[in-house]
Amino acid sequence: MKITVLLSPGLHPLSGKPVLPRLEAQAIALGKSLGGVLSGLAAASCPDGVADALGHGLAQLDLIATTEGEDPMPLLAAALAEDGPKLVLAGRRSQGGEESGLVPYALAKALGLGVVADAVAIEPGTEPGTLSILQALPKGARRRVVARLPMVVTVHPAAPPALPYAYGAARRGTLRARRVQAAPGAPDAAPGLFEERAYRKRPKLMRGAGTGGSAAERLRAATEAGGAGGRVLTDLSPEQAARTILDHLAGLGILR
Amino acid sequence: MSRPRKDPRAERQARAVPGQRPRYDLARRPETPGGRPRHDPRVEIARARVPGGARLRLDRTQHAGSSPSVAIGAMSATPPASTTLLAAPTPRVVAEPAFLVFAVADAPDGRLTGHDRQVLGGARLLADADGGAVVLLAPPLVDDAGAAGADRLLALPSLGYAPETLAAALLAEIAARAPRHILFPESPDGGDLARRVAVSLGEPLFADVEQLSARTAIRPTGGRRREQAGAPPRLMTLGEGRVAPHLGDPHEARTIDPCEPTETTPGILRAEAVPADPATVSLADARFVVSAGNGITDFTSFKHLAAALGATPGASRVVCDAGLMPRAAQVGASGTVLDADCYFALGIAGAPQHLQGIAGCEHVVAVNTDLHAAMVERAELSIIADAQAVMPALLRLLAEGGA
Ligand SMILES: Cc1cc2nc3c(=O)[nH]c(=O)nc-3n(C[C@H](O)[C@H](O)[C@H](O)COP(=O)(O)OP(=O)(O)OC[C@H]3O[C@@H](n4cnc5c(N)ncnc54)[C@H](O)[C@@H]3O)c2cc1C
Ligand SMILES: Nc1ncnc2c1ncn2[C@@H]1O[C@H](COP(=O)(O)O)[C@@H](O)[C@H]1O
Repeated sequence: MKITVLLSPGLHPLSGKPVLPRLEAQAIALGKSLGGVLSGLAAASCPDGVADALGHGLAQLDLIATTEGEDPMPLLAAALAEDGPKLVLAGRRSQGGEESGLVPYALAKALGLGVVADAVAIEPGTEPGTLSILQALPKGARRRVVARLPMVVTVHPAAPPALPYAYGAARRGTLRARRVQAAPGAPDAAPGLFEERAYRKRPKLMRGAGTGGSAAERLRAATEAGGAGGRVLTDLSPEQAARTILDHLAGLGILR
Repeated sequence: MSRPRKDPRAERQARAVPGQRPRYDLARRPETPGGRPRHDPRVEIARARVPGGARLRLDRTQHAGSSPSVAIGAMSATPPASTTLLAAPTPRVVAEPAFLVFAVADAPDGRLTGHDRQVLGGARLLADADGGAVVLLAPPLVDDAGAAGADRLLALPSLGYAPETLAAALLAEIAARAPRHILFPESPDGGDLARRVAVSLGEPLFADVEQLSARTAIRPTGGRRREQAGAPPRLMTLGEGRVAPHLGDPHEARTIDPCEPTETTPGILRAEAVPADPATVSLADARFVVSAGNGITDFTSFKHLAAALGATPGASRVVCDAGLMPRAAQVGASGTVLDADCYFALGIAGAPQHLQGIAGCEHVVAVNTDLHAAMVERAELSIIADAQAVMPALLRLLAEGGA
């Protein structure tokens, strides 16, 4: 099976230096576990960062040169249309850029593929031409999705860790410069619609905190027990205590 | 030194209750000299307060329903109709909206999540500024959509996990009703749906909005080093814990009929939920945590109990320091901060560093021998008993139930 991993030029969240996003390194490991012919595809203005993918176990990487700020979508779509991979692996969000997570969906739309998001494990399905994908949901829950190939799968951070960087593998891998003919991307819908500025940290609303009152009252409401404590039961026999606890937990819908 | 000196003996004597034994009524207030009742502005405001609503509203006409001080003379004949009116405020109706705002909810098994309610709160912000109406698009609900702030309710098909069909249904509604804004939760499923809709519409998506008002929306970019700000665009996903849910009067939540969606050939053939395994799930992800403190000595029973309850085992720092539980199990400020729905504490005193770790837990149950432990104060159900004895009893009951 032909698999393409999409690698984006990422920036390190602290230093701002070019890096390979960790999620995409995990995508390489996931693709390798599946077997088949694995290659990488990146649209970037310089190979710094994305070239690290070779050290993380990718044998071949195609690099489409772009100019700074150019929309990579039409270039990637054209290259993928040429290659016709069965499976396209991407990160769920890029790192350091726009981070909208739209690229995999836009590519799937352009190529007429299906999308399955947030994979943590992939294996061939029981029927031919299908894949069985384990999807990450909140609170450690998972969902097994069977979908038809060809498709785009995005990778979740809970996927198995990336293969460690190996210098020898990085030297052995081949980095190819690739040229594709593509219609220029749609110009930015409305340039200057949004103001770009330095990030300002905004605290999240605390669960259970009220919205009224002074700051001290809201803090108290958020950190203290709901109201004046709860039910306190003394002098129960262990059996009665156990029964009370189990009834309470069952009432909350916690016990299955 | 101009304050009058206190004479404790005389004060005590003034409160003496006549009788044979010396008894004192310390709660009694000394009579006010003028005989006129004193004003208590706090109590008066509390009485005039109109229930419901986020803003403080005062009704100073003295008709306020049930306050005992008003229920004298003519006032006691208040017609019962007005009290029922107060109890259930009539829902607000937006009959002729200037525009529509779509709020798309995940609502797994028909219940609005906290995040869904925040999305509705955000949609209300956008709608209320200009006389718009909020349309809630969700699978068939068991929850009250009106109280959460929806003016209209539009049921989406519920076919298990079928994001492609759901996106097609949403696109049909968007084409038919031309909403001004469409708001999704930035949750795994909501974010997925939003991106499918965005690429099908060919419109940009303002993803993971961190601050929303009727005038501006702000989202982080570049690994939270930069941000984009501007007027709220059409398609947005809202991050969790960014906008308060709707707390005001309920809205009408009138059901409207969905339109006929276009046919799709889904690439997703079937899906099946795999519940989290409590034994392997990380503590930060766990839904239900049972934790052992210094009051526990029998850790074999404790591990059996965690497995039988289907809970993830945790521990206090003292226990981890002693090597009785792995460090990864430590709950608290220097361990793991939980996001669990329920926390069951066995023999844990509830030091501030420990309570910080469970600040987000909705339900706390405690077993402790000490009635005055901080954990007992925090818990909604506390059993004052020996946890060593309660554990085997719990195990017995669970085994009986399972058999
Ligand atoms: C910088 C710093 C960081 C810290 N971070 C953390 C942290 O992240 N997490 C953490 O947990 N702690 C932390 N601590 C430690 C914390 O202050 C407490 O010392 C610790 O939480 C106490 O653990 P405990 O409640 O299990 O033990 P104890 O304080 O010894 O309490 C034991 C409780 O069990 C009860 N008990 C005794 N026998 C029984 C019985 N047979 N049945 C039922 N109940 C019984 C007792 O009444 C008592 O309430 C930190 C401390 C510092 C200084
Ligand atoms: N320039 C690019 N070249 C190759 N892949 C990309 C590029 N930009 C984004 N991607 C892929 O799309 C995913 C999501 O990116 P984004 O939509 O920008 O958040 C990334 O994790 C990459 O796998």
